Amino acid sequence: MIKTVNLTKVFRTDEVETTALNNINIEIKKGEFVAVMGPSGCGKSTLLNILGLLDTPTKGDFYFLDENVAGYSERQRARLRKHNIGFVFQNFNLIDQLNVFENVELPLIYLRMSAKERKEKVHEALETMQIAHRVKHYPNQLSGGQQQRVAVARAVVSKPHFILADEPTGNLDSKHGDEVMRLLSGLNEKGTTIIMVTHSQRDAEYSHRIIHLFDGQVLSENVK
Amino acid sequence: MWINYLKIAFRNLIKHKLYALINILGLAIGIASFILIWLYIIDELSYDRYHEDAKNTYRLVNVYDFEGVGENSASSPFPVAWTLKNDYPDMVQNVTRVFNRQAPRTLIDNEFVSYNERHFFFADSTFFQIFDHEFIMGDPNTALDEINSVVMTESTARRYFKDENPMGKTIRLEKMLDLKVTGVIKDVPHNSHFTFDFMASLSTMRKPYGGQLPKTWVWNPCWTYLVLKEGTPKTLEKSFPAFIDKYFYDAEKENVTLYLQPLTDIHLKSKLDYEIEPNSNITYIKILGVIAVFLLIIAIINYINLATATSAGRAYEIGIKKVFGAFRSQLVYQFLMESVILSLLALFVSLFIIELLLPHLNNFSGKELQIGILIQPAYAAILMMIGIGTGLLAGLYPALYLSVFNPIMALNNKLSKATKGGLGRKALVVIQFVISIVLIIITLHIYKQVNYFKNADTGFDKENIVILPISGTTISRAYEPFKEELLQNPNILSVTAMDDMLGVAHNTHEFRPEGFPEDKWSFYPALVIRYDFLETFGIKLVAGRDYNEEMKTDPEKGMLINESMVKHVGWKSNEEAIGKKFRSLQGEERVIGVIADFNATSLHESAGPFVLNIKETPGVIAFFLKYVAIKVADQNKEETIAFIESKWNEKEQGRPFEYNWFEQELAQLYNDEEVLGDLSLILTAIIIFIAALGLYGLVSFMAAQRTREIGIRKVFGAEQGSIMVLLSVEFMKLVGIAILIAWPLSYLLIDEWLNYFAYQMNIDTLSFLIGALAAFAIAMLITNSRAYIVARTNPVNTLKYE
Repeated sequence: MIKTVNLTKVFRTDEVETTALNNINIEIKKGEFVAVMGPSGCGKSTLLNILGLLDTPTKGDFYFLDENVAGYSERQRARLRKHNIGFVFQNFNLIDQLNVFENVELPLIYLRMSAKERKEKVHEALETMQIAHRVKHYPNQLSGGQQQRVAVARAVVSKPHFILADEPTGNLDSKHGDEVMRLLSGLNEKGTTIIMVTHSQRDAEYSHRIIHLFDGQVLSENVK
Repeated sequence: MWINYLKIAFRNLIKHKLYALINILGLAIGIASFILIWLYIIDELSYDRYHEDAKNTYRLVNVYDFEGVGENSASSPFPVAWTLKNDYPDMVQNVTRVFNRQAPRTLIDNEFVSYNERHFFFADSTFFQIFDHEFIMGDPNTALDEINSVVMTESTARRYFKDENPMGKTIRLEKMLDLKVTGVIKDVPHNSHFTFDFMASLSTMRKPYGGQLPKTWVWNPCWTYLVLKEGTPKTLEKSFPAFIDKYFYDAEKENVTLYLQPLTDIHLKSKLDYEIEPNSNITYIKILGVIAVFLLIIAIINYINLATATSAGRAYEIGIKKVFGAFRSQLVYQFLMESVILSLLALFVSLFIIELLLPHLNNFSGKELQIGILIQPAYAAILMMIGIGTGLLAGLYPALYLSVFNPIMALNNKLSKATKGGLGRKALVVIQFVISIVLIIITLHIYKQVNYFKNADTGFDKENIVILPISGTTISRAYEPFKEELLQNPNILSVTAMDDMLGVAHNTHEFRPEGFPEDKWSFYPALVIRYDFLETFGIKLVAGRDYNEEMKTDPEKGMLINESMVKHVGWKSNEEAIGKKFRSLQGEERVIGVIADFNATSLHESAGPFVLNIKETPGVIAFFLKYVAIKVADQNKEETIAFIESKWNEKEQGRPFEYNWFEQELAQLYNDEEVLGDLSLILTAIIIFIAALGLYGLVSFMAAQRTREIGIRKVFGAEQGSIMVLLSVEFMKLVGIAILIAWPLSYLLIDEWLNYFAYQMNIDTLSFLIGALAAFAIAMLITNSRAYIVARTNPVNTLKYE
């Protein structure tokens, strides 16, 4: 479902050239729950950005749903992205000016769904995430755990094939962190493929497979 | 402390280059335009004030009102000036008359050169006592004492005498009289209500008039200036009725009023018949003043908008300063100082802009404005006040606004809410758009009105008519043979002559229509013409017949009147008017034809009763005829003109040939409006530019503030288009509100302005739409050009460090 061949990403500034990813070859199958681990600066986020079609590789091939998308334009990537991928961030990235309902509704608007359909789907997602009672609240009126549940609701509301999660529990205490991990795990059991970057061994336990990155290279792949 | 303020101020400018540039440029353009208009207005207000006695000098105005017909004359009969001086010696300290023989051109020559002079005048010997002109040679007190003496300006002297000393030399007037140069003055300052190149002694005219100047109280060709003792004008005006009763003719006594017009009011407030030169208009000066203030306001609004918008970036600095003990007042000082530094910088830049633009403004307005005037202490002080004042005004709001930041919130960067505020900012943007839209709509209307004037049906043809000034020429004394020779050319369709420019000016003549009481004389607007006048100008005859050369009694007995005259007298139909009698000073005339109404002067005035009359005796004809009008064919114009010139040269040895197209003569009537239109177009463009600059800054800033939100939206599938809509929709709403305010406002202003004209175009709805669309287009262009950049930004970069 996802496959990279010699995937390389180089960042250039005027003076320095940094190889963030160096010949990465990984494959992720439908229904998998994969954790990406490694120390700060090892290239986790860069990898996630490329897998999430937010960024493009410098070299190598990237097969997304069997299409080589390495050379895709921003517009092409945006099309693929909004139909197939949901994102969850460490700092939630909710829009402060929008309330819970509106934040979750956002991806559906960009999919040009009708208002009625959107309402149904948003409520369904909020029910699943057990946050439906806060529908009219604004992000700053919610606790961190609640905010992340809204963020997860937003990630799943369009029923994407993938969820990419970048340290989803990084800003949460362990109780709320576990709650979010159980939600992601539940989604995975229902068939959603999840790729998660994390520092936490405890969170990684929820996954089927852990990819260790170090200095932009795959160090090991542990299948549990 | 102050050093620290200065340092931070400059570092901030450098750090936020774009905002600093927008701010300084916007302010500089605003200040520069403001100062340019200010210089222009100072100049307009300075007219005739350089004479020492200016505030005690008045011009006598004669109003002749015969039940709505008549004239408001800037000039008076010959005897009035000195009679006033004799009768009221304790009030009238000095008088002078200025006279130009009512001739549009005066032929002057000497052994070297000859010119048709436009600015040749005669005046009493007191002229240079009343009007201060700097004498390079000669004595102002005696220069005009002798008959046949003339004072000329420096540049005129150079035209006639090159580098020779002109004093005592002679020039010839109309090939008749030799005038001795008794003085050379500096060129007349441009801020004088009339310009002259020559001023000859009025006593010179005694000889042509048979030994003495005319004694009539009817003919009123002398511009009459009086110097009054302070505080006496009101008293003098009260004695005018008695004065009129004593001297003016019985037939017109009842209908004449005299009043005094301050010399310094003439340029801006006088719009009389027989002005020496067209004057300016105080309304237009006011309009310009208002626009200037708008410009400055818009520039200041930009500053406030940008300063408050960028303030979030300063929160951290403010927080730290507060934590370490800064008082609020200190922060206020700091921000005010930054703002003043910026505006002084802008002032500095604006001086360069002024230096750059002033020659163009001078070129275009015919003025001689100089930036040097700004160095004078009074102006320099005002300039500094504008600079510092603008800075304070612009800085006050951001200063007070920024300095209240709570340090904890500021340090934790929780200010996004606070700085989003912006109701005030939105209001300011709306004001900018309102001003821009109103100006666009008004400018369009000014242009449309000028066009309307130029293309309006004035009741006569304007195209393909050549005008030759002929007063005092051989041709004026032998007009008919000249006409016959011209008509030999098949490209010359028709030839006529007149005593004033049709459509521009006219005289008034004394008549008593049939049925009016014996003593009831009226002065009716009239032109003295020659045959084929109606044909040449395409004026419609609605009843009776035109003048006919076959009818021997026509010159003495026949006259043409217009339809308004028929109504004025009270005849029931145009046909009924035919054969009716008008008493004139020369006897009795009969109406032979009625013509359709036409506009005898500019469209500022409405058409009224009018008389066309032919004179009979050769001497009188020669005296009256000032212009020949020649209708030429549309093709071969250049050859036709060359033909006319050759005929002219045969008749007028040594008199330069001069011709004008009638259409262009008429267009000059609307110079005021045209200049106003051009100026307001330029100023509108500047205002829009400044407003656009500010808008760009503001949109940039708002986009920067929403970077994270835009990133999130993009991650979740927003495409470029929807991001651009997101960023521009708010401004579009503001433009919408601005349109709702600007439309009625423009309507009121235009309605008011149009009332000033007798003939008005309709208020033009299309202009309103254009104004609105332009505002939308500009806002769209600016927000989108900025939004486009933001919308393209990869969210990976904007979300990374959150």
